[in-house]
Formats: sequence, C-alpha cells, structure tokens
Amino acid sequence: MRATFFFLVLSVFLLALLTLVVHYYLRRIRTEKHPYGSWEKLLGRLSAVNRENVALIALSLVDESGQRRGDENDANLDEAQIWSMIGGIKGLETLERNCAVLVDLVFYVQQWYPEALAIAEQLRLNAREIEWHIGRLKSAAKAGRAEKAFPEHAEEVVAIYYVMTRRVLALYEEWNLPGLVELQRAL
Amino acid sequence: MHLTGIDLLFWAAGFVAHVVLLLVLWVRHRAATFPFFTILIASYVMRTVVLYFTALAGSKHAYLLAYLSLGSVDLTLQLCVVYEMASHAFRPLGNWAPDARIRLAWIVLASIAIAAGLTWLSAIPPVHTLLRTILIRGNFFSAVLMTELFAGMIALSVTIRLPWKTHAARIAQGLGFYSFVCVLIEAGHSYLGIDHNIRISADLTYFRMLTYMICAGYWIITLWLDAPVPKALPKEMEQHLLALQRQVEAYLQQLRTFRE
Repeated sequence: MRATFFFLVLSVFLLALLTLVVHYYLRRIRTEKHPYGSWEKLLGRLSAVNRENVALIALSLVDESGQRRGDENDANLDEAQIWSMIGGIKGLETLERNCAVLVDLVFYVQQWYPEALAIAEQLRLNAREIEWHIGRLKSAAKAGRAEKAFPEHAEEVVAIYYVMTRRVLALYEEWNLPGLVELQRAL
Repeated sequence: MHLTGIDLLFWAAGFVAHVVLLLVLWVRHRAATFPFFTILIASYVMRTVVLYFTALAGSKHAYLLAYLSLGSVDLTLQLCVVYEMASHAFRPLGNWAPDARIRLAWIVLASIAIAAGLTWLSAIPPVHTLLRTILIRGNFFSAVLMTELFAGMIALSVTIRLPWKTHAARIAQGLGFYSFVCVLIEAGHSYLGIDHNIRISADLTYFRMLTYMICAGYWIITLWLDAPVPKALPKEMEQHLLALQRQVEAYLQQLRTFRE
C-alpha cells in the first residue's frame, strides 16, 4: 500500500517536473525566435487609453516634438478635469504599463535595426521617469495630499507618455517598418 | 565479490570516460573555470579505482561502507557543483543578480523540503540492514534534490533570459538529465533493494551507468568545443549608450541638487 502511494506521488512529482522543464524549454525556443514576443502579442499587451484626452493634456505642456511650451497653456486644465480625462491614478498606471510595451516595441525593431538601441534606451529612461512620478503621486496619496500633487505629476506623466508614443511612431514611419498602420491605430 | 564481464566493461568504460573528461578539462583550460566540477570528476576517477579494488579484495560489507562514504563525498561535491553553476549563471560579474538570489534561495529550500518528504515517503527497501537502507535512501534523496535544483535553475535562467549554450549550462544540463534518470532508478532500488544477484536490480544499475556514460560523452564533446562567443556591441552603439549614460548622470545630479 505504502509502495503504491509512493510511486503514485513520485509519478505526479516527476510529471510535474518534466512539464515544468518542457514548458521552460519551449518558452526558451519562443524567446529565441521572438525575444520581445511576436508583433501581435506585443500590440495585444497595449491597454486602451483615450488618445484624444492624452493628446489634449500633453499638448498643453509640450509640443509635438516634446519641447516644453513657453506659454502658460497648461493652466487651461484644472485638476478635476485632468483627473476625469485620464481616469485618476488607475489611468496613470495603465499608461505606466503601456510604457513597457513601447520599450519592447522598439526592442522588437532593434533585432533588425541595431541603431534603434539608442531610442530604446531613451524610452526606458522616459519609462523610469513616469515610474518616478507615479511613485511620488502614490506617496502623496498615502499622506492624503493626492489632489494637490495630482495635476503636477499627472501632467508630466501624460506628456512623457505622449512624447514616447510619438517617438515610436516616428521610428516606424522613418524606417518604413511593417505594422505602422496597426500601431497608429493602437496608439 | 564476483564481477561479471559486463560489470568489468562498465567499470573500465567509466574509468576511461572520466580520465578523458579530466584531460579535456585540463588541456582546454576549463579546470580553472570549473574547479568543483573538476574535483568531482577527479573524485570519480579515484572512486572507480577504490571501489574496484574493494570489490575485488574486500567483503560485501567493506564495499558498502566504501560506497556509502564515497557517496557522501559525491553528494557534497555535487552540491558544490550546483553552487558553481549557479554562480556562473547568476553572478557573471562578481555580484549576484538581486532578483535571482532570493528566488534561488527559495528554490534550494523548497527542493530540500520536497526531496526530504519524498525520501521519507519512499518504499521501505526489502533488505533491512541499516547500511543498505541509508545507502538507498541517501541515493534517492540526492537524486531528487539534484533534479529539482537543476530544473529550478533551468526555469530561472529562462525567466531572466540567461544564455543556455555556455559550458556552465552544458554541465548543468548533463547533471540534470542524469539526476532525473537516477530518481527513477533509485525509486526502483528503494522498492527492489540493491542486490547485484537480483537481475532487475543489476539491470537498473547498468542503466544508470549507461546514462552516465552518455552524459560523460556529452561533457567531453561540449567542453572540448569552445562556447559560442557573445555578440559584441558595435562601436557606434557603444557611443550612443555612453552618451545616454552621461545624460542619466546629469539628470541624477539635477535630482540630487533638487533634493538638497
């Protein structure tokens, strides 16, 4: 009886171990083939955001090239408007997640165009900035100062995100890469 | 102890395979990179000789005692090899990858717990001498532990995208495969006992030796060949990265000033 039970448990254990190794082996093969995932999967990871609202908030702070505006245009939107347009902290977190996809989208290109590495690194830096702003915002929320801190950090996040999307689109456009139309639709 | 023709053949083949592997490690300068693995192989050469003469001239009890003592050394050295492989994979520049270290520690703890649990559960060997029971259960524990550790290392290296074609990875793959087969064989031994006079028990031992020969052959070939050279970063890209690094440093400086 004990022997039967032992061999049963052992079989389950070995099967689980074998499944684990095969799973990771196949994953390895997939990763070698598509180090940053397949194009469709990458696009599928992008969460839906309201593009018009993102552009509206971002363009009140920076221009299309990412340069800060000299005028005080940013005063046009009050904190309540920004909060509802972007969907609060949850909306900002969605942008944060999308940033990782944007970086991967450039790394995807870098497989064939090594020059894209510099842009990928720049985007990684931008993503880090966004992470920093959201971190500050969360700390402020914990201290009960979310409303005061939100406009300042949220606008920065949205502006950086917007510039990142423009950079990715410009890269695909400049090198005439396949998938540009789908990307424009997704971003 | 009476040794059959096939016993002598496996013994001789094992000895030759280990000596060749040791020569490969030495001639191709792998010994300095993998000191524990080299010591393990050297210990196998010594073990083959010691066990051969003990089997030839000593009693069954003396042979079991020698086997058990050398088995403990083997387990200790195998654990050192696991550390060596993990160190090559997750500490290539001298510091442990922070995300890998904690996960690796969990893998080790979980592996020990599962191996101990399975050993406790294992079938009671039919021959109840204490020495044989320790031997069978010790072998089983060691095989399960090694299999889990190497499977865990494979999973972790895939997760954090470490290369698989280095010499360290080849050694780990060979040991992992051998340990996996050993789990099956030692489970069989725990049920049937280790008795060379029982045909099926002897066949299991031959199968283990054959598997080991295949692994030794795999190591001889892969360690003789050079590992694939990692792709070098083009000069232009290196410049880009350096410029970016300078930019990040400047930002950091600004942030520090802002804090002050």
